[in-house]
Amino acid sequence: MRCAGGNGVINGPAFRVKPLPQPSPGGLIILLLAMFFTLPAWGQTASTNTETAALYKKMSLEQLMSIEVTSVSKHSEKLSGTASAIQVITHDDIQRSGVSSLPEALRLAPNLEVAQINSHDWAISTRGFNNTTANKLLVMIDGRAVYTPLYAGVFWDAQSVLLEDVDRIEVVSGPGGTLWGANAVNGVINVITRSARDTQGIYVSGGGGSLLQDFGAGRYGGSVNSNLFYRVYAQHSDRNDTPLANGIDATNAWDMTQGGFRMDYYPSEMNTLTLQGDAYAGSEDQPRNSDVTLDGQNILGRWTRTFSEESDFSLQAYVDRTWRDTHSTFAEDLKTYDFDFQHRFPLGERQSIVWGAGYRLMQDDVRNSPALAFFPANRDLQLFSGFLQDEITLVPDRLKFAIGTKFEHNDFSGFEIQPSGRLTWTPDERQTVWAAVSRAVRSPSRIDTDFFVPATPPYFLAGGTNFDSEKLIAYELGYRVRPSDRLSLSLASYYNFYDQLRSLDVTSPGHFVLANHFRGEVWGFELSANYQAAAWWRLRAGYDYSHKYLTPTSASATPSVREGNDPDNQFSFQSVMDLPAHFQIDVTARYVEKLPTPHVPGYFTFDARLAWQYKHVELALVGQNLWADRHAEFNASSTAPAQEIPRSVYGKVTWRF
Amino acid sequence: MAVLNLPTRRRTRHRLSRLSGVWLVISALLLSGAWNLPAQTAASKEYQIKAAFLFNFAQFVDWPPDTFTNASAPLCIGVLGDDPFGNILDTTINGEKIDGHPLVIRRFHRLEEVQDCQVLFISRSETRRMRQILDALKGRSVLTIGEVDGFCKDGGIIRFVTEQNKIHFRINPETAKNSSLTVSSKLLRLAQIVPPGGD
Repeated sequence: MRCAGGNGVINGPAFRVKPLPQPSPGGLIILLLAMFFTLPAWGQTASTNTETAALYKKMSLEQLMSIEVTSVSKHSEKLSGTASAIQVITHDDIQRSGVSSLPEALRLAPNLEVAQINSHDWAISTRGFNNTTANKLLVMIDGRAVYTPLYAGVFWDAQSVLLEDVDRIEVVSGPGGTLWGANAVNGVINVITRSARDTQGIYVSGGGGSLLQDFGAGRYGGSVNSNLFYRVYAQHSDRNDTPLANGIDATNAWDMTQGGFRMDYYPSEMNTLTLQGDAYAGSEDQPRNSDVTLDGQNILGRWTRTFSEESDFSLQAYVDRTWRDTHSTFAEDLKTYDFDFQHRFPLGERQSIVWGAGYRLMQDDVRNSPALAFFPANRDLQLFSGFLQDEITLVPDRLKFAIGTKFEHNDFSGFEIQPSGRLTWTPDERQTVWAAVSRAVRSPSRIDTDFFVPATPPYFLAGGTNFDSEKLIAYELGYRVRPSDRLSLSLASYYNFYDQLRSLDVTSPGHFVLANHFRGEVWGFELSANYQAAAWWRLRAGYDYSHKYLTPTSASATPSVREGNDPDNQFSFQSVMDLPAHFQIDVTARYVEKLPTPHVPGYFTFDARLAWQYKHVELALVGQNLWADRHAEFNASSTAPAQEIPRSVYGKVTWRF
Repeated sequence: MAVLNLPTRRRTRHRLSRLSGVWLVISALLLSGAWNLPAQTAASKEYQIKAAFLFNFAQFVDWPPDTFTNASAPLCIGVLGDDPFGNILDTTINGEKIDGHPLVIRRFHRLEEVQDCQVLFISRSETRRMRQILDALKGRSVLTIGEVDGFCKDGGIIRFVTEQNKIHFRINPETAKNSSLTVSSKLLRLAQIVPPGGD
């Protein structure tokens, strides 16, 4: 709050209040508030644009009904005009792919690296550095960051949503550091569920199969009056064990139960209040030890006020508790308290300002074991953040430049600044060329500084007392084009320079600490295409090339221990087909090249879904990973063989009323 | 109020240092008013889109044969009450004809002024008088369009609703029929159908 408030509003050229003679603090607050609420009208221009009128007039009613009236979030800019490598997985993409979990759904984003390790573990990243503890991606579910300060990443087995209620998943590859929160180094995943108003009625589904043994879900959406809508849902799933390379059962069966609610209240057309929460519990089998158990609860409130098409503000707060117990090795109880706001307003006719601020408190309590320990076991971590961005229209409808920065203060590396500049050129309505230069940092986490193996001296690994943040300077260039109404293509290329990447440094033979002694370059491009072949047939495809080159910067760094295990090439493909007599047949396929260290062979596989949908009922048969009997997707350890993912099938019955 | 206070603010900017104390108090007082003020832009994107909808509605509805005095008589789109469109409605229909009838825009302040108008958009400003207005128009071949809660229930034919940030519309086919209007099946297909007595 301090950061953005201080730099954004008081000195902002719009307000010109610098000459004020030292107002009292109380007066200053009143002044700020007054400006906050009265100013949005300043930049509003008589937008009685004849071109716009002519454009809307030519549109069909269907097209008119698909236009967003106001944009209420940082990223509801229309996809085609966005100056970043964004891919959107729609509700329909998810429904038609037959995926049964959030990580599986992320496979549909061609710009992500998604590797399933076993029934419940995943490694997900973008533009390199993938691992089970991947740490360069920010993931949010309805505005709630699902981040563990334990390793600056995501415990994917604790993140479930009712896929039926997901509106879309936005995946931005490349630094989102300026507008988004901590950790948006290589990318941002933003899972957005539909409002309660848009999920009215009854939904029931259930089924079972080989790997996904059995599952069931239900949701009821209702309204109290014409302004207040709610939904409640619950879901449960049981997943079977996945095999080891030798075909033997790896004993990792996973069950998960989750329930939740969402309420949306529209006291007036300009205000929206949302309250939502979830609770979950699950367990995972372990070969020798007792089960891993996990549970969590969260509640989030958000108030959005829309002043006009160009101006809005939102205020959000949430509390999230998550707990996991792996019995023999460690247990973690994390409570996150988060408060954020953002405000967008026009400045004159050519500028649009977005600024915001946030505060987060993470209370992370770990139970150590003889094998490994975090010292101190319990930590309270505070994060202060603020951001400010100015988007300047250089040539109306043609050329835009956005410049902004994020300020952040964390308990590990102190004050961090993450600026970026983005240029968007739209030569015509069908083409967008964009370029960006950004700086982003990956803030340290507890595993970088507090992690000791074993729990008593002599330590094999003795933390990383001096561990600093990892730095990135990213250069991006992208092009999006719609050669026809049926086809859209996107190309995003990047050159990333990393400095002070994590290294494992030798202090004395057999003793290590974590330090920042790697430098890296990662370059590549992401190509994707959407093609509406016919009214009944839609195709999507993606190709990613990425090459990572890391060099140690100190003789003490262990050269062989490098961050991430990434393929150079990967392809993805989705076909969605409506057949006569209410049948649907859908295929998703992917090829991922070999992973270098530890070596995992490249693989090709595909999923297929056959469904029959009539009125309220849908029957679906889904086959997943059908190409081979089983295949490995990732290996984080050079000593243990990779676990494998088997071919599987399930059937599903759905009712929607 | 926010809009009103702006010019004042701009004029007094150079005197801010002297007037800052007073101004702070005024701003604070204005705060509560500003808070409830709708964005009064000349024509927001919402109304640019709604203007295009009105143009479309006029094309997808047939009036009884005796509505027009001759084949080239104008088809009037009226706005009753405060006009949220600014001049965007005029820009949208400028030079357009439907079945040989040139489109014209007319603005009315009071119900009594509404004469010879085939499409009537009833503004939010008339919310309190809505029932009365719609009762008075009952049975006349006027395509009534509104955007406030209860519009269809009170006897309006088409109501705009904003859902998930997008503009949709509801039609009460029963009321349309009672007004001797024929709504095309395409329009009905895209609309949310309001049952008799519903909204």
